[in-house]
This record gives sequence, structure tokens and C-alpha cells, in this order.
Amino acid sequence: MSDFIQTLTGAQETFVNVYLAVMRFAAPILALILLWRCCKPLLTFRREPEIWAWLCLSNGDKLPITHWENTIGRHKRCDILIDFPTVSRNHAVLTRYDDGSWSITDTHSKDGVTVNGKKVRICALNEGDVISIGGVEMQLQPITHRQEVRLSQLRTRSSGMENVTNLLLLSIFQALTCIGFLMGGNLENATPILFGFGGIMLIQWLLLIFCFIIRRPAFEVETVAFFLCTMGMAAIATVKPGETVKQLVAMVMGIAVFLTVGWSMRDLERAKKMRYVAAVLGIALLGVTLVFGREYYGAKNWLVIGPLSIQPSELSKVCFVYVGASTMDRLLNKRNLISFIAYTLGVCGCLALMNDFGTALIFFCAFLMIAYLRSGSVGTIGLAVTALGFAGVIAVKIAPHALRRFASWRHIWEDPFGAGFQQTRALMCIASGGLFGMGIGKGWLKNVFAADSDIVFATLAEEWGLIMAVLPVLLIVVLALFAMRCSSVSRSSFYTIGACTASTVLLVQTIFNVLGTVDVLPLTGVTFPFVSNGGSSMICAWGLLAFIKAADTRQNASFAVRLGRKGGGGDE
Amino acid sequence: MNRIASRSIAVWILVALLLGGVAFFVGEYFVKGDTWVMTQGSPHIYNGTNLGTGVVTDRGGTLLLDTSDHRTYATTKELRKSMLHWLGDRHGYISAPALATYAEEMAGYNSVTGLYSYSGGGTARLTLSAKLQTAALKAMGEYKGTVAMYNYKTGELLCAVSTPTYDPDNVPDIEGNEDGTYEGVYVNRFTQSVYIPGSIFKLVTTAAALEELDDIRSQTFTCTGTYSYGREAVTCELVHGELDFDSALAQSCNCAFASIVDQLGAKTLEKYVKKYAVTEPVSFDGVTTAGGNFSITDASAVQVAWSGIGQHKDQINPCRFLTFMGAVANGGRAVEPYLVSKVTAGTSETYRAKATTGKRIMPEAVARELQRMMHNNVIEKYGEENFPEVTVCGKSGTAQVGGEKKSNAMFAGFVADEAYPIAFFVAVEDAGYGRQICVPILSELLPVCMEVLDAE
Repeated sequence: MSDFIQTLTGAQETFVNVYLAVMRFAAPILALILLWRCCKPLLTFRREPEIWAWLCLSNGDKLPITHWENTIGRHKRCDILIDFPTVSRNHAVLTRYDDGSWSITDTHSKDGVTVNGKKVRICALNEGDVISIGGVEMQLQPITHRQEVRLSQLRTRSSGMENVTNLLLLSIFQALTCIGFLMGGNLENATPILFGFGGIMLIQWLLLIFCFIIRRPAFEVETVAFFLCTMGMAAIATVKPGETVKQLVAMVMGIAVFLTVGWSMRDLERAKKMRYVAAVLGIALLGVTLVFGREYYGAKNWLVIGPLSIQPSELSKVCFVYVGASTMDRLLNKRNLISFIAYTLGVCGCLALMNDFGTALIFFCAFLMIAYLRSGSVGTIGLAVTALGFAGVIAVKIAPHALRRFASWRHIWEDPFGAGFQQTRALMCIASGGLFGMGIGKGWLKNVFAADSDIVFATLAEEWGLIMAVLPVLLIVVLALFAMRCSSVSRSSFYTIGACTASTVLLVQTIFNVLGTVDVLPLTGVTFPFVSNGGSSMICAWGLLAFIKAADTRQNASFAVRLGRKGGGGDE
Repeated sequence: MNRIASRSIAVWILVALLLGGVAFFVGEYFVKGDTWVMTQGSPHIYNGTNLGTGVVTDRGGTLLLDTSDHRTYATTKELRKSMLHWLGDRHGYISAPALATYAEEMAGYNSVTGLYSYSGGGTARLTLSAKLQTAALKAMGEYKGTVAMYNYKTGELLCAVSTPTYDPDNVPDIEGNEDGTYEGVYVNRFTQSVYIPGSIFKLVTTAAALEELDDIRSQTFTCTGTYSYGREAVTCELVHGELDFDSALAQSCNCAFASIVDQLGAKTLEKYVKKYAVTEPVSFDGVTTAGGNFSITDASAVQVAWSGIGQHKDQINPCRFLTFMGAVANGGRAVEPYLVSKVTAGTSETYRAKATTGKRIMPEAVARELQRMMHNNVIEKYGEENFPEVTVCGKSGTAQVGGEKKSNAMFAGFVADEAYPIAFFVAVEDAGYGRQICVPILSELLPVCMEVLDAE
């Protein structure tokens, strides 16, 4: 009898080993297939310019209008170029609204804009109105309703079925991972691990169903995010299995933020109002941290409320992106720019007091991106000055404290048991894992501080192999490239600035997290979006994802874009 | 909008930074990954400060060291003591460079599969013989020094013991000991020490003379006990009288060799020392030995003469001199010695040693003639009856070290036998005459060594 049990145990052991061995190769293959299917449509969708109206000049020329926001002027980079001496370089902005109506805004031109002979600063346009820009007369001829319907049909559609298949593949991946963990002998933690992976699976299907209900079946961006979350969950399951549920709750909150931010951006008029809310919220979050925050590792960036500890600065990142985004007609308005600069200085002040180098760095990069995207001829100088001020604050206030951490940069092997401990262990474990990993749950790095956050890249590399660790990095890149691709057909500069800045934050965090772990850059303790264990970071990542999602102009793709009106598939 | 859209290119900078950084890291991974894994403290490889890459056996498969947990050494005290300087101790006082060198092969690491197939490590098989090592330790008795043998056809190091030594499973109070028993105990004398060679260096001068002086074979030397250089002189302990070249070497006549050095000249002698590489370090299996010394810059004629006799500032490393003996035995080209014969990780062989033959250092005819003369030494001086079964060629030395210590006794040579291609080197410190001290040690060990080779 005991022999029989022994044989059985032996057989089970063999089975487990075979399973884990197969998973080493099955996981990357499955992941690559899944991600190829997700990323291909994101990187290859057609970007033919859409024509929304025609501008008929008095000499009979008809100029196509290809965006919802169009600059008119003499400058060669204007959307509508009118090369006439009396026309200012950036003369006016022509804006289309959700309901199909149009308006024109004078952007501080020398000679002004007249509509039907009356000088205006901002004016709604009706068909047949005669617009005069620097003495050049023209009429706006919007496309007809039927043309609009035709247009929306031409746009790339995201295939609903494809997305269901993708999610099925992801679910298989998650199930296999979960089984791997359970078989790897992690039975005492079986419940949280089951909850963790099961929870992600449930949430992703619920979100997909929700998207189908609101008839926005594009789900590639979300699938990518869920994959990243799965990898993060895998790291937590091995390092701190008790925290899987906490991370899951953060994910749900993150998705709520994702949907809220997305909803707020669906209507640009609403978004403009929400900007103020975001502005107040962003600075308030930092302010509260300053007053009530708790200091860990020299940075005062934690807020402890009962059992919860949150990093409000993570959430204010989302607000900052929101505040930084702007529609074109306001973009060229000095007041708007000055208030943004003032806002940035306020944020900068709070960060200086908090002594949080990592966050300051991310805000700084986000600011630079916004500044670059916004600055035409008007604001460059003001923005440059602010940038300088920001850099100055970092240098004077925060750097001396952070510099101590940087002393070991590229010298980690000289002090492998002191300053270089985390990174040398990370490199040893990455190398131990090879390309295919030591196997799920078989890592050692879990014994090192922050194995599930600051150096999570190494934890994944050790257990899953370098290929599976590099994949999440590539996915962040894919999200950024997608945001860039969308910008050329974007309806509004609000979406473009939002998406590009959100990508910037995601990229910068990934750069500092991954390259910090492997000692290409100094270790800063910045989180890996979606992957690192940390509730605030997870919520922030989903919030940022909303900006990227909003830039998606594919038909039926983004919740930020209303469906074609009347007969174009019906309004919702 | 166009303007903003075109500015979104700025994101590319970050994308490029991220991808560039990751690419740089992946490059580093493939180049340095093995170093990272093998660095001390690497969690899957090390147990604390010691490598835990598997087991080490002797040439016959006898377990010498199991590195798992707290390191298990060989079962007998004698074997543990005799192997200490190759396997290292638990506390890092004595390192084991050869094991560190093959840790990667023992672990079966490669940058594709990492350490996945690693399960407690592999096996490194040394060329040393456990039986011979313990016999050598016994033969050395209480003496400090080193005794080594290697197969000059294959390069396998069969025996290399360094004394004093201690039992790593029962570490004595080394710090507290004051009678000098453990002086230099942490040093592997075979690889890391240098000795004043004494008369065994005459082999170098002999070879140089055979190459350089056409009439050397017909020369005769008259030893009066002193060979004077004005107020200074080279002296012999005995008056050897009339000697031919063979007897000059066999009787180790300093006066005769002073005359030979005179004929050769300092420059020429220096040229041959360099050509025979007797002062160069030897490198094998991650071990780099100490280098020797031969410096006659600004030396007077008598000092040059003493240099040709193995005194003055001459210093040699045992491993290097053993290799030199190998070269002579092998007809003028040495097969480099090595320690690790093969490494296996799991079921796959990850390393197998290959014999590397060095460049020719002397013409074959010179090597043959030197062999004959060295055999003559045994006939004339050391007694063939000490080595009843084989033809031994050798040269003893007695190096005066000054102070109150007795001379260091040396004996170097080889067995001229196809079945037993063994070169040997014996150095015993503070002992007396080379012939009296070392020849018995060798005559005790040679039969054991032959037995080991016979058994394979």
C-alpha cells in the first residue's frame, strides 16, 4: 500500500515537473501569439484623412478640412494654409463639435476675423456664412449627413470577435499560470492565488461585456493592460501571495478611474470643465499628503488611512495629464498657457516639499512633453523658464538626498552586500533564469526587498525568463506607438496631448523601473505601470490608459468618440 | 492639429531610450550573464561564501568534496589534508581557483537556459590520484615543501601536495600556534611559492652548453675545490679532481659549472633561461603560478657563475620546473600540466580537458642528450637500486637559504619509460641534502604512481 502511495506521489512529482517544464516554453509562445494579435491592429490600422468640411475660397478653390480642430494661417505648418500677407501666421482656429456644428475662434490675429462682415472673437458658423480672414473671404461647406455616414463606414473597425478570441487566449494563459503556481507547491497560499488570477479573469470578461453593451468592442488596449496586470499578479503571487486581493481591489478601482476619465473625455465641452476639477483634485491630493502624509525612506509621499496606505502623488499624475491637455482654440490663448505654467509651479513646489525624487522626475518629464506639444511660437519662452525652474528645484532641493542612492550607479559590484545588494541579486537572478526562466514560483529573488515592485522586472526574468520579462516592456512601447499613430488623425489636440503625455509617463516609469533594476540607470524606486505591486500605481496606470484609449479614432473603438450620428449605426 | 501631431514624434525619443536601454542590457546579459551567475553570493550557486556547484572527485572517482550544504570533504583525514590546497577550506582562507573556474560548467549554465537544468550541481573530475596524494603526504612526513608528479605525455597532474597542511574538518589553532608548524599553511607551495633552485638549475646551464658550446662533450674540467674570480671564488664542498661533462653534472661540480658559465657568458645564459621559460608563470584551469627569477643585471662574474649554479638571485616555481622537466622528457616540447580532466552537469559533459603542447624550447637532440646525462646522474650518484623497475633521470639540488635554517633539498626529473611517462619535482624545506632527503621520498612514491597508472 505504501509502495502504491509512493508511486503515486512520484508520478505526481513527475507530472508537476513536466508541467512546469512545458510552461517555460508554452508561456512565451502563448503570450507572443496573443500579443501579436493585439498589437497588430494597434500598429497597422489605416489612417486615411477624414474630410469633415470644405472651405470654399472666393477664387473657386476648395480646401479640404481634415480635422475637428484646424489652425488657419500663413505659417507653413497650419492645417489650412492661406499664404496671403494680411493673414497672420496663426490667425484663427476652426472647430467642429460633436453635434456637427462648427465655430471659428480668432487667435489674437493682427487683422481679426469677421463673419458676415461682423468682427468676432469666437462665433458659431452656419452654412453660407461669409468668413473673412485678413481680407480673404471664404465659406464653410460641411459634408452632408450621407457623406458622414459613408465616412464612418470607411473607418477601420475593431473586430469584436477577434477581441473575444484574444481574451480567451489571455484567460487560458492566466489559468495555466494559476495552475502552475498551485502545482509548484504553493498550496498554503492557494486561496489568495486563486482569487488573484480568478479575479483578473472575471474583471476582464465583465469589462469586455460592458464594452459590447455600449457597442465599443475594441479591446486591444485593455487586453494589453490585463496581460500586464497578469504578469504583475504572477510576481505578487510568488513574492507576497497575501497581497493578491489587495492588488485586485486596486485594479477594480483603477478600471473605475479608467471609465470615469474616459467618460469625461467623450464630450470635449465636458472635458474642458472636468479639467478644472482635475486641477483642483491634483493639487489637493499633493496638499493633503504634505499635511497628513507619512515619511518612508526619506520621501513624504504616503497617506495612511486606517488599514489603507496610498500614494496620492500617483493619482495626481493623472490629474496633471488632464490639466496639461487642451483644445486647439485655447492652446493658442496666452491666458490658458500662463495658468498651466502657474499650476505646474504649484505642483513643483509640493513635490519639492515632499522630497520624492522619483515622482518629481516623472512630473518633470510629463511637463516637458506637454510643453513641447503645446509650445508654438507664443509660449516657448515661458515654458522654457518653467522647465528651468523645475529642474532647479530638483537640483537644489531633492538631488542631494537622492544622490546618495546614485553613488553606486554602474558600481554595484563594488559593494554587492551594501548599496548594490538589490541590483546585484537582481542581475544574478536574471542570469540564473536564462531566456525561459527557472519555473513558476521557483525564484529566489522574492527574498530581496521590493522584489514585487522596484525590481519586479528581475523577479519576472528569474521565474519566467528574459523573454517574458522583456514582453511587458515592449507592450508599453506598443501603447506609446499606438498613441503616436492616433495623433495624426486625432479629432482634437486635447486627445493628442493627453495620449502622448500619458504615454510619456508610462514610458518614463518603465525606463526608470526596468533600467534601474539592471543598473543601466540608477535605481529610483519608480513603479512599473500595471506590473509593480502597489495600489496607487495601479490606479494611476489605468487612469493614464484612458487617455490612450480616448485617442483611438477607429470606428466603434473608443468610448471617447461618439458613434456616427443618426443612421450611422444609431446614437447610444 | 498637424503641428501637434507632428510634435508627437517627441515620444519617439523616450521609446528609443527605453528600447536602447533594454537592448544594451540584453547585450550585457549575453556577455556578462555567466559572470553574474558565478559571482560570490549568487543565490542558486552559492551556499554562503562557498560555491555549491557539485562534487569533486579524483581521477578514479573517489569523492574529494561535495559542495552542497556545509561542504563534505573526503572520508579520510589524510586525503582531506593532502587535497586542502586544491579544494579550499570552508572559511575562504584557501581559495580553489580551479573550482571557481569550472563552476559555470559544473552548474551547466548557459545564457539560453540559465540555471534551469541545475540541480545541486555537477561533477568535476580532477587528474590527481587520491591514493598518490595520501602517499605523498605520508612521504613528506613532518617536512614543509611540495612534491608533484605529472604525466608529461598527457599533461595530467597526478600528484601535487603542499605541506604544511591541515584537516579542514578539524581545523587546528593556526593563529595561536607559535612553533612555526603552520608557517605558510595557506599557501599552495606547488603553485604559489618560489624556491632557490640550487643545483637542479645546472640542468638549465647544461642544456644551454649542449646547444651553444660545440666542444662541450670533449671538454674536461679540473676541480680544485675553488674556481676563483680575483678575491672571490666559486667553491665546491669536495675536491672533484678531473671530470668530464657527464661527471661534472653527476657530481654537481660547482667549479666545472663556473667554467661552463664563463664560456657561455652572461648574455647567452640569460638568453637560454628565457628560451626555456624557467622563470615564467604557468597557467592552467584558472590557476596562475608564481613566476621565478633570474637576474644578472649588474652582476659580477662570480655572481653570474653562481646564477648558473642555481644560487645568487635565482628563484624557481615548482610547477614551472616540473613543466621544464616534462619538456626535456618529451624531447624538447612540454605538454602543459592541468588539474581538471572533465566536468559534467547532470548527464551532459560540459568540459573535457585537452592536452596543450607548448612550443619547442630545445632541439630534440639536446633533450635526448640531457636525458642521457640525467640518467647517468642516477647511475653514478643516486643509485639505480632506488628505482628498481624503471629508468629514472634526475638531478638533485641543495639550496642554501642562509640564516640558521638548513638547506632546502630539491630533486627534479622524470621516468624515461613509455608506460610511465612521469615527470616529478620534490622540494623539502629546511632539510639538508637533496640526494639524502628527496631521493627516498621519490623512491617511495614512484611505485605507487606506477601502480595507479597500471590500474587504469
